Amino acid sequence: MSTGELTMHASRTARWARPLAALVITAALIATPYYFAPFRVFQLTMVLLYAVVLAGLNLLVGYGGQISLGHGAFFAVGAYTAAVMLDRFTTGHLATLPVAAAGCFLLGLGFGVPALRLRGLYLALVTLAFAVFLPPLLKRFEHVTGGSMGLTVPKPQPPSWTGLAEDQWLYFLTLTVAAVTLLVVRNLLRSRVGRALLAIRENESAAEVMGVRLSFHKALAFAWSAMFAGVAGCLYTWVIGFVSPDSFSLNLSITLLAGLVVGGLASVYGPLLGAAFVMYVPNLAQDISPAAPGVVFGLLIIAVMYLAPTGLAGLAARARQGVRRCVEHLRHTRRRPEPASPAEQTGPPQPEPQPLTAPPTIGKG
Amino acid sequence: MSGQVKDSPAGEPMTEAFLEVSDLHAGYGQARVLHGIGFSVGRGEICAILGPNGAGKTTTLRALSGMVKGRGSVTLDGTQLLGRLPEQTARLGVAHVPEGRGTFNDLTVEENLRVGAYLRHRRGRRARSERVAVAADLERVYGYFPKLRERSRQAAGSLSGGEQQMLAIGRALMLRPALLLLDEPSLGLAPLVTRELFRIVRTVNEEERTTVVVVEQNAQLALDIAHQAHVLESGRLVLSGPADQIRQDGQVAEVYLGISVQARKGG
Repeated sequence: MSTGELTMHASRTARWARPLAALVITAALIATPYYFAPFRVFQLTMVLLYAVVLAGLNLLVGYGGQISLGHGAFFAVGAYTAAVMLDRFTTGHLATLPVAAAGCFLLGLGFGVPALRLRGLYLALVTLAFAVFLPPLLKRFEHVTGGSMGLTVPKPQPPSWTGLAEDQWLYFLTLTVAAVTLLVVRNLLRSRVGRALLAIRENESAAEVMGVRLSFHKALAFAWSAMFAGVAGCLYTWVIGFVSPDSFSLNLSITLLAGLVVGGLASVYGPLLGAAFVMYVPNLAQDISPAAPGVVFGLLIIAVMYLAPTGLAGLAARARQGVRRCVEHLRHTRRRPEPASPAEQTGPPQPEPQPLTAPPTIGKG
Repeated sequence: MSGQVKDSPAGEPMTEAFLEVSDLHAGYGQARVLHGIGFSVGRGEICAILGPNGAGKTTTLRALSGMVKGRGSVTLDGTQLLGRLPEQTARLGVAHVPEGRGTFNDLTVEENLRVGAYLRHRRGRRARSERVAVAADLERVYGYFPKLRERSRQAAGSLSGGEQQMLAIGRALMLRPALLLLDEPSLGLAPLVTRELFRIVRTVNEEERTTVVVVEQNAQLALDIAHQAHVLESGRLVLSGPADQIRQDGQVAEVYLGISVQARKGG
């Protein structure tokens, strides 16, 4: 879609700055596993993996305006799908990814149907039930799932021509999947489907009388969201090489939702920031207070939400806005050295994007 | 009223009925709101539905667009509208601008307009030509509402009330509607803005032959642009006829519409 056609008044610097930034970030991401210790690389892999779930969750919660407390369970279904396939059928690792994705997509579609009638807290409750009953269910079917002992499966091994270590190979696999996920989600939101989803969130009845099919889009949003959770779960099995019911407790679902909100709802970069938060902050909390890390973690969430109500992504956007305004101000004063009265100095003719209300779909930065 | 723009259809033979409403009942749960109303609107006409608060004006529009269930019969060009979902009704070319505008505040002005073209999505060979047509319609809407072009990249929530109403109408026009339903476009707007808005609605109606049903509390303004008018009271039609006649009917005007006949003659 060509909504970007009208960005002709984007600042002149942006034309080369954006590809350059993309290049630098790509180079940094590729270089990372060569410069860090395996444990650090593993942590970054986990951040990317969480970013995949959160990007999917963002689709549902941030853009769809629905709440799911069951995404940890979809994650678990994806993880177990991969683990059982590897354990029972000795398929290749790559084959597990589409199966986990498709399985979770269908499961999500099934859950999307109650989402048509329920909303807000009621829907949250249904998904919560899923998250609650899944671990005991996994323990029950011992002959398939390995019960509470879980399943240990081989990790994907790097092909010898790459010369990579295992952790580096896993990092690159996850990086690829995460990049594709973020790209797919971004493009989805810029398309007609994305606009329909946003329209539903903003005003259901107005969207309806414009001909947007509510039931279709709501159910589909849930399915996509579950699918990305399943993909991330599959990656989890690859990276950890072990699944057990206790890895996917209710806590995981809640942590994911908290991570998304802290990272920034309805923001393109929010899931990445939220994933970093979910990965690193519990460790940080452990360092600060070995006795009660949960308390520190909770307090940090409260602090972030208090200081940045729109999440870390909102904070970053505000900082960028500030820098841009500073630069513009400097440029302005340099071009016109004579002292003009402040009342005459009207701003640039184009309207400044509003930091809080600007839709994330524009993707200006 | 020197600003009268309408040509009087009173003497002309009635054009064929495009929208035909008969014995329409509707309500919310136990509360019955409409008790069997009937009227018809000719192709390319503007029809005003007037009446006090709670008379059932908004419910009438909602029944037409499928947002509330109705009993009776509503046909558009011979096709039954009742018993369809709002999205299906929209597919038949009925664009409803809901009360209170219903713009999507976090979307930009242009994105709002593109949601309006949601149903015009085509696949395959016709995709490109439809995309060109949608781009042309964006220009058309910006032509009617130049202010929207200025603000095309701005979030709809940051527009003024008048601009939001323009956006809501513009979004409805993106559907290329055969029937445009306007629910109290003057709500909360300054008189000057309202006048401008009604002038544009009239222009759209004249240039595109779009049939319009407008619900209004501001009877004076609505009667200025309408061909036909119906007065609704407690869920029943109490008066129907050409807009001119309704305006002239002094007693009805005073009782139901709050128009002072003396003031009108003076103006």
